[in-house]
Amino acid sequence: MDAIGQGIAEAFRLIASGDAEIFEIVGLSLYVSCLSVLISTCAGIPAGIFLGIHEFRGKGILVRLIYTFMSTPPVIAGLTVFLILMRRGPLGRFQLNYTPTAMIIAQICLVTPIIIGLTYNIVKEKAPVISRLGITLGAGSPARMKLLIYEMRVGLTTAVVSGFGRAISEVGAVMIVGGNIKGMTRVMTTYITELKGMGNYERAIAIGLILLTLSFLINAVLYHFQERESR
Amino acid sequence: MDLRFENLQKAYEGKLVLNLHEGTIKSGSRTAVIGPNGAGKSTLLNLIAGLDTPNAGHIYYSGSLNIPAREITLVFQSPYLISTTVERNIAYPLKLRGWKEDAIQQRVEELCGELNLMEFRRKKAWKLSGGETQKVALARALSFHPKLLLLDEPTANIDPATTGEIEKMLETINQREQTTVVLITHNLAQARRVCDRCLFLKDGELVEEGSAEELLLHPRKALTAKFIAGELLI
Repeated sequence: MDAIGQGIAEAFRLIASGDAEIFEIVGLSLYVSCLSVLISTCAGIPAGIFLGIHEFRGKGILVRLIYTFMSTPPVIAGLTVFLILMRRGPLGRFQLNYTPTAMIIAQICLVTPIIIGLTYNIVKEKAPVISRLGITLGAGSPARMKLLIYEMRVGLTTAVVSGFGRAISEVGAVMIVGGNIKGMTRVMTTYITELKGMGNYERAIAIGLILLTLSFLINAVLYHFQERESR
Repeated sequence: MDLRFENLQKAYEGKLVLNLHEGTIKSGSRTAVIGPNGAGKSTLLNLIAGLDTPNAGHIYYSGSLNIPAREITLVFQSPYLISTTVERNIAYPLKLRGWKEDAIQQRVEELCGELNLMEFRRKKAWKLSGGETQKVALARALSFHPKLLLLDEPTANIDPATTGEIEKMLETINQREQTTVVLITHNLAQARRVCDRCLFLKDGELVEEGSAEELLLHPRKALTAKFIAGELLI
């Protein structure tokens, strides 16, 4: 219990003291997660919509693959990206391993299927009804698409936040491709793992609390949005 | 807007569900489409509204084969309201048509007044009762002065008072704006109250058509008489 109490006290002390290393780690965590989620959203939402409203050969297999990728173990994604980016790999010439870019790529691989899968499910449910409604009210294709996106706004936000939750809390992939290098690729989750290994539980708890607080804040924003839209 | 069907056929999974050799719906009329379940009534409305395409045959809209999509509307039995306020739902078709904001406001107010929706106008769509939802769907459909109004059992599962309001609105709009109304209903009394024409379909075929009064009170065909007498399963 002492360690937990001290961890909480240490968390407040670290935040209050403006510990440069902590802020750098938190900053890099947010940068990597936000950028990977942004790219995944830009790719995943249109892909999910396309998949939801179009029929084509092999769609069933593609959907099953996406569902499988939604639950890909992060270490597998990390290992795959590492092998592709390693010096002897197909993209080795770019020398991206052990850089934040590699971490972003690994997180994109984890987050994009989640956003595609969740978007696809909402589109599948809503698109036929919205399409019929749009036609009966004289809406052309662009207006129907706009209406569909408007009607899915809460569900799409949930998909993006789920993706962000996956990205910010992920440790296996960023550890493999980033290497937890101090001042370069160290993020909150990899730092917690290292601190735990070193027996520095107070600092690990402190970082954990910061991570939880960030997660809480993001979910609070989502909850506020959902509440506002259903009131 | 008048409608004419010519050798209209629709099949689903190889089964012919609609097979109309010919038929007309006169401009400015109020036409009831009656018949047992599976008669092809909803299929006919979906084809007219452009929600589906026929396997064969044609529908002529005032002589033209082109669907005037912006002059036709369809109100479903369980309408979908956009997840926003009542007034924004009613305003939506007008925004699509580029109406100015003050004209939209005026039209929304007119319709809310006529359908007793004033007190609900700022209410969110998902907080409305079934009857209120149907009235909003009707107001939204009428907002842009459609020339052809299609209704697929709009008053099924709705209380008599709201049904009365909807029926009154259909008559008003038909008389005031010469809107052609096509109404699917299982309520034969409603067909007689609201409509001046009637089509009786069975197994996708047009069995009989005529004035509502004549068809419902003095049917010429034995099958129609049987249906009216309740001897055919709905």
